Amino acid sequence: MKNGFWVFLAAFVALGASWLGLVYGPLKQLGVATETKVLQSDAKWPQARTGDATLGLQVYRSAGCAACHTEQIRQTGAANVLTITETGSHQPADLKGFINSLSSSVPELMNYSNAVAANLAGWNGELPKVLYRGAADTVVALLGDKLKAVGVKTEARVVATGADIARPGWGARQSVAADYLYDAPVQLGSLRAGPDLSNIGVRSPDLNWQLQHLYAPRSLVKNSTMPAFRFLFSVRKKADGPDAADALVLPKEFAPATGQEVVPTTEARQLAAYLVSLKAGVPLYEAPFTPITAAK
Amino acid sequence: MNPTENNTFCPNEIDASCRVPLLALFGGAALWLVLGLALGIAAMLSFHQPDLFAGCPFLSYGRAQAAANDLLFYGFVIPAALGVMLWIFARLSRSPLALPLVPVAAANLWHVGVLVGTVSILLGFSTGHPWLEYPRAAAVLLFAAFMLVAVSAVATMGFRLNRELYPSHWFLFAALLWFVWSYATANLFLVSGHPPRGVAQAVVGWWLANNLIFVWLALAGVGIAFYFLPKIAGKPLASSGYALFAFLTLVFFGAWAGIPPGAPVPAWLPTVSAFGALLSLIPVIAIGIIAKKTVCGAKVPCRGGPFCFIKFGVLGFVVSSLLYLGEFCPRASRVLEFTWFQTGVTQWQLLGFAGMILCGAIYEILPRVMDRELPFAWLVKLNFFLFAGGTLLFVVPLLLGGVEQGLKLRDAAVPFADTGAAALKFLRVSTTGQLLALLGSLCLLLNILVMTIQWKLGLVKCVVTAVTAPLNAPEVKS
Amino acid sequence: MSDENKSCCSNETGEPTVTRSSAPMWIIVVTLALLFTGGLFFDSHSGWFDKNIYAPYQSREQLESFQPKSGAAAAMARGKAVYEGVCGICHGSDGAGKPGQAPALAASEWVTTKGFNRLAHIPLAGVAGPLQVGGKGWNLNMAAMGAALPDEDVAAVLTYIRTAWGNKAEAVTADDVKKVRAEIGKSPQPYSGAQLQAMPE
Repeated sequence: MKNGFWVFLAAFVALGASWLGLVYGPLKQLGVATETKVLQSDAKWPQARTGDATLGLQVYRSAGCAACHTEQIRQTGAANVLTITETGSHQPADLKGFINSLSSSVPELMNYSNAVAANLAGWNGELPKVLYRGAADTVVALLGDKLKAVGVKTEARVVATGADIARPGWGARQSVAADYLYDAPVQLGSLRAGPDLSNIGVRSPDLNWQLQHLYAPRSLVKNSTMPAFRFLFSVRKKADGPDAADALVLPKEFAPATGQEVVPTTEARQLAAYLVSLKAGVPLYEAPFTPITAAK
Repeated sequence: MNPTENNTFCPNEIDASCRVPLLALFGGAALWLVLGLALGIAAMLSFHQPDLFAGCPFLSYGRAQAAANDLLFYGFVIPAALGVMLWIFARLSRSPLALPLVPVAAANLWHVGVLVGTVSILLGFSTGHPWLEYPRAAAVLLFAAFMLVAVSAVATMGFRLNRELYPSHWFLFAALLWFVWSYATANLFLVSGHPPRGVAQAVVGWWLANNLIFVWLALAGVGIAFYFLPKIAGKPLASSGYALFAFLTLVFFGAWAGIPPGAPVPAWLPTVSAFGALLSLIPVIAIGIIAKKTVCGAKVPCRGGPFCFIKFGVLGFVVSSLLYLGEFCPRASRVLEFTWFQTGVTQWQLLGFAGMILCGAIYEILPRVMDRELPFAWLVKLNFFLFAGGTLLFVVPLLLGGVEQGLKLRDAAVPFADTGAAALKFLRVSTTGQLLALLGSLCLLLNILVMTIQWKLGLVKCVVTAVTAPLNAPEVKS
Repeated sequence: MSDENKSCCSNETGEPTVTRSSAPMWIIVVTLALLFTGGLFFDSHSGWFDKNIYAPYQSREQLESFQPKSGAAAAMARGKAVYEGVCGICHGSDGAGKPGQAPALAASEWVTTKGFNRLAHIPLAGVAGPLQVGGKGWNLNMAAMGAALPDEDVAAVLTYIRTAWGNKAEAVTADDVKKVRAEIGKSPQPYSGAQLQAMPE
């Protein structure tokens, strides 16, 4: 074409369309979001961080922790689960027969009779027993009611599933936009050279553990490739008298020379407070699951 | 300079008008390339010897890796691409570079900006957003410098003596608009006093990363390749309609990829990105076919020279882009997301595609612009093999290691420490590749440096000769 | 520089040229096919721009089917819903009661009893006449607000008032409510304060 104007126009329209769709749209939808409520509760989510934890986010950013750690959990599925918790006065064999006959006779349950039968095959009566695990909430409700009528106690739960969620302590559901409302800057990360941190405050809630891990990662996690962040600490001569309250307690091969102690700087304390504040996993409307409540 | 009676300028005059701006841009670019690769190696050393920089905050992995990536892109790729673009515009316009002093000032501004940005990151003042780590001061310098170069480039294009636009014009002109808009938007929203709340920041960041590392790189690299491939092969570019199709599909579809499938954002965003990525396969394949048709049947051997660089670069574009777009497939991303695979693809895009094409272009342009042979012509061949071998050795282990790491991450029974250990043996090979690439970049720097010194010495000699020349007898007044 | 004409003032600058032909049909067909496939994918996976739908959920209905419906939290939610619709009008949504209308339920000794029996009689039959709540005297009539509600809802709302606003007492099940209802029988008379005091907790 002869005219540079048309080239400019094509590029302008193309980039403008993408700007509208991927910048303006999300800003309108997500950028002005406010707090949301925890599912089936009055509690607000997210909880704003206070004090050292807020400043710790800036230390996290400055040290570039997001280069190795992510703060986002993915989910690839969800399931409605029905579990038998008490069989009441029934024998397991009778109960098996009853449930199988139910699922083949009730119209709404007929599509799931094979799945239920497969779950029950080889059941010796050990509890709790998963009866159904799948997408149909109607099956869970119906089967649960029918079993309640004959005195069998069941529990219906919603669980989130996925490779990240299967890892113990990583979180019970995927991360959603509401989780990052008060983060500036958002540190999602893109590489898992180190584990995901969205729930690290629940996995390792001890401030001293976090401080020791920052100073000498290999003293707590063998073969860890995390660099030692010794510049966040100062090694100084021990004062006469009792040890300083915040001096790190380190194993022999990581401890400084005799007569010296390792003390965290303000930045180390802030970073540790931030890490301990990272707790994920309250159920939300957009990421539902049944939280595990303490038994009555 | 005035055109001859035939209303054209000599190529020598056109090249000479580009000399100082291009030296300013290329010289800095080559230096930043060497520093960027070196810093990248220093960063990766943290994985082989975690306690190496324990007491040194400036070289801790997070800071060093971010600085290295930015040095590669902002320090090397953009100034080199801008320099090549200015020369291509001048040559295609059949007229000298318009406003030649403007790009010189711009180059100096740009390099100062990169310096300020890099030092800021290493000192801990990074903004925390990937590909946007330079704080506001550096970002403003870079933006201003880019605008100045764009002014000169657009003026050169506007003053062209033949009015027909060549495909490279479209790609490179669009690249000018692309960087300006994307960079300004991202900086205004993210590196400002009131960033948007929450994960919207990440969305803008992903939009920027895609627009810079995929679309802008493709526009600039392909525009440059579409100039040099037919020129060196001595055949015309395969087809104007095909190239137009590739251009339009690239700009319209390419800009929509970017949001990773596992992102903590409502489902419509990653779905739209997957849709865009699927369609972006078309321009990548089209560009590959155009390049193949242009080069096939050309009886020009490359012998490790610039032609080799550019052919390798275009092949690198097709492969790295296919891998990059594959990351947006939801099934693939379940394994590949958050692994070294993504790092490998990005480095392939930067070094194996853009780096190769730009090096080849610089080696083609420099002798013409400086009007002298390369001081170490044999280093070009060494540079090619070091770069090609180094990039493959750097990138392929990252890809393989990433896949293995991803498969282990999928299995919750595998403890996390084992997933890292799986990748570690690949990382050792990968760092060796980085070293080779660093040696290759030193060849480039050496050539440019010595050429600059020779030119400056030549200027000095000129002045000295003029000053000490014997005066003509009649001028001597007794 | 072998392909360059080094002599000045020549028309041949060695700039690349391009052949004039159009893109092949097959790639345009493939593009359209991908557009169609992508459109189908968008239709099924995007949730049509809904800000609450995150992958892997694909629609509002699907998301609703995965909302937890049972369990202690769900019962609380149900109880709260019932309370706000039926009881909160007089007793206040904060359980503080309204002077001249209804006594407080928060920190009320009638609510936080160890057993559920006495408390369950109140919504099922109603109250008339004077009684003491927290040292204050009240002399009002309360209709049998819970008589028309199913057992589960009465149980849920009793559980709710026994655990909300700082109250700490055990939950009430639907069976408990069923037993009390059976005791009371159909169309009971409202109880007086003295009758209620005489009942076992």
